[in-house]
Amino acid sequence: MQELFDFLREEGVEPRLLDGVKAFREAHPVAQEYTDRIPVPEYYYYGNNTWELALAALLAGKNLLLAGPKATGKNVLAENLSALFGCPTWDVSFHVNADAASLIGTDTYNGSEVVFRPGPVWMCARVGGFGILDEINMAKNEALAVLHAALDFRRSIDVPGYDRIELQDGTRFIATMNYGYAGTRELNEALTSRFAVLNMPLIKDDDLVKLIARRYPDIDMKICGQLAKLYKELEKKAESAEISDSALDLRGLLDAIALMDQGILSGAALEMCIVNKTFDDYERKLIRDVIAARIPDDLTRDAVFGK
Amino acid sequence: MIKKQFTSNARRARNIIWNAAGDYDFEPPFMAFFPNGAPDHYFNMIIGLVRKWLDIDRIGKFFDSYAADRRSDEFDEYLWLGLENCVYEKESAERPVMERLRKQRAEQFYVEQAGMSRQQMEYQSMPVYTQQQARWASVSGRNLPVMTSREKRMQEALCLSGDLDTDQLLREMADFLKTFFRYEAPHGAALRVRRRGSRGPKGSGRRRKDHFLVRTGTGEGNHPKAVTLTHDGLGRFVPPTQEDEDYIRAVFGKSVLPESETEILNNDICTGADANCRVWVTQGEESDADYKDAADIIARRRRQRELNENFYADNRAAVRSAVKTLSAGMETVFESYLKHLPEASRAGRLAPEKVYRLPVLGDSKVFTRDGEETEKEVFVDILLDASQSRMNSQEIISAEALIAAKSFAALNVPVRVSAFRSLRGHTVLEILKDAGDNDCSGICGYYAGGWNRDSLAVRLIEHLDDDPHMTGKQRIVLIMTDANPNDSVPVAEAGHLLTREYDGAVAVSATEDAVRILRSKGIMVGAVFHGNSSHIGDLHQIYGHSCVRIRKPSQLAQGLCDLMLMLMSRR
Repeated sequence: MQELFDFLREEGVEPRLLDGVKAFREAHPVAQEYTDRIPVPEYYYYGNNTWELALAALLAGKNLLLAGPKATGKNVLAENLSALFGCPTWDVSFHVNADAASLIGTDTYNGSEVVFRPGPVWMCARVGGFGILDEINMAKNEALAVLHAALDFRRSIDVPGYDRIELQDGTRFIATMNYGYAGTRELNEALTSRFAVLNMPLIKDDDLVKLIARRYPDIDMKICGQLAKLYKELEKKAESAEISDSALDLRGLLDAIALMDQGILSGAALEMCIVNKTFDDYERKLIRDVIAARIPDDLTRDAVFGK
Repeated sequence: MIKKQFTSNARRARNIIWNAAGDYDFEPPFMAFFPNGAPDHYFNMIIGLVRKWLDIDRIGKFFDSYAADRRSDEFDEYLWLGLENCVYEKESAERPVMERLRKQRAEQFYVEQAGMSRQQMEYQSMPVYTQQQARWASVSGRNLPVMTSREKRMQEALCLSGDLDTDQLLREMADFLKTFFRYEAPHGAALRVRRRGSRGPKGSGRRRKDHFLVRTGTGEGNHPKAVTLTHDGLGRFVPPTQEDEDYIRAVFGKSVLPESETEILNNDICTGADANCRVWVTQGEESDADYKDAADIIARRRRQRELNENFYADNRAAVRSAVKTLSAGMETVFESYLKHLPEASRAGRLAPEKVYRLPVLGDSKVFTRDGEETEKEVFVDILLDASQSRMNSQEIISAEALIAAKSFAALNVPVRVSAFRSLRGHTVLEILKDAGDNDCSGICGYYAGGWNRDSLAVRLIEHLDDDPHMTGKQRIVLIMTDANPNDSVPVAEAGHLLTREYDGAVAVSATEDAVRILRSKGIMVGAVFHGNSSHIGDLHQIYGHSCVRIRKPSQLAQGLCDLMLMLMSRR
């Protein structure tokens, strides 16, 4: 994990905050059985201001709500934070049918009796881990009401018919929400007030270049710059509602580079990982026009990564 | 090549320009197309880059300054060659792909040249053509065409440097016209000359009384007062005749109801204020009836269908996105207010009535949890006002109805879409999409014309309750309206000396009564208002709080979700 600390130091994140994280890690050792739940991030989140705000909130014992449109790195930051704090992590993906049972736990039959089967939030509270509540605004507010006591000063979970447990000191919840996604709803005030809310900015041009270059150190920097600009142009087109945000996919861009690394020509790689993310013919034409204005379609691996 | 006009590929061309300019908030003064109508990718990029690097408004004004000259088209072509070189040089450092795109464009020039007919060659200005040849030959490394010394000087002059700013560029362009064509813009020309390609005001359609009109317009928005029908005055009213019915049959198609049922319906619902009217329910199936005006009107209807379909095709991405948003939003509403069907599971809420199965049968599925399925026991009727006042919004209304229908259909909610208008004493309800149809394309057949007797349309929809998909379901009627009922057939009132027209407060009150009756029968009624602010009061009088106002199509998804939420929460 030293690598992540080094990265943050290079990015200019306030050293005092990083020292605070180190102190947190020392104060909250992780039991051996849960060490495999500590994530190892593939990508790092870029944006030192956002890092500082997030670290400050978590160190102050607050829960964090990362809000922002698609491809702003909400999940990357959540995973990076868990990794940096060295905490076992439970991911909960919310959906419209998510209910209290799927968060806290439910009854089940163990062969001889009906018992309580703990859910991810319960486990998180017991072990002192990080709970990543992904797309929290997909769920109904009624379902989330069970989290209120866990998220506020009471820091406890009371399961009717079973125990009341206190949250371990190291327990934190990081929720993510995209207010633009279809099917999402407004979070109610009661829940929102229990989080420190961080509005995730769009990734900056320079940071995008750095992100690509870190993942693919051999990439030709000129092409790396053009790919970053291509992404920003698609972002602008989606913002202007000329295309849907289906093709605005940072993962897709990185996947396309991975395909080029495997020897696929640039045109085919971008077609697979970006253009084909949308299923509308007309929209695909618009996206191809944007790509054609930046990246030739016959770039070989050697051209992209240098010989 | 570069035109100030719209084609079917215009949106794509605009997108290329906006993308190159990095700015989506301007309307490009030029767009470039190949002779086959496809957008010219490279030159559209150049137009966008002119916006990015230079002051395109001033350059546009310069182009306008010679618009009245008979050589203006040639000037355009020359100057765009000059601009091409200038912005190419400015952009190529920042965008390495420019060199390749330029070469591809050069090759495209030769492909086009090979495919040109003799006639096309004759239309081509040869001096311009020589300059184009010279430019693309030098780009693609081919031999330059044979040129006179004047042409060679022109070629050099058109290689405008990338170091020029807007002022210098304008000076160079003016010098070019002066040197080679002895053209100097007259003082103040830019102000006097009307911009080429600008269009005059669109016709608002003929104004005739009680005639079915279809505008072949562009759907560029709702102009509430642009199209209105006026009453004749308080003349003597003549009830609908057989000739009127023949006209209705010829124009709108056969009735889907047998004659006897139509007669019963007329007796049942054409009462009170609507006693002088008749109803006609159709699915647009063309009849054999030969009526003198019918062919023309049917042709106009087809034309409007094409316009609706083109509007849909041009905005397909936006429609798809709206359907996605609306169906997801609607699903959220249903999830919140409709019950989840329980399903057996091995964990969840213990089902006491099943506990015996555990020891006796060893069946551990004695728990229940909320299943994926919700009851969704609703049937939606979407009723579109298709009167003449909607003429300026036909494409938009058609697209909105399509979005709504597709969104409900995506959730497996049966939805029927109908349009209503009144003409020659008949209130015609045309079913554009039946609940059993998966295909929503019939909605593109929406067209506007005639009057709207909302009260009778509402009463009519109430009686169309024999659809098999409706059985056991909660009916919801959503009316897309301008809340301005108006008909040429006066209100039928016994004991009144003077006939009262069906409009204003009388018509609003009659519609309010019809909606109240519908609600009293357990049918939910909501309105999507798309009209003039002056009718807001009428809207609330008719529909109470169960209405939302939509000012533009992008508000439909949120508006309809809010309306459904309102209706479902009162369930």
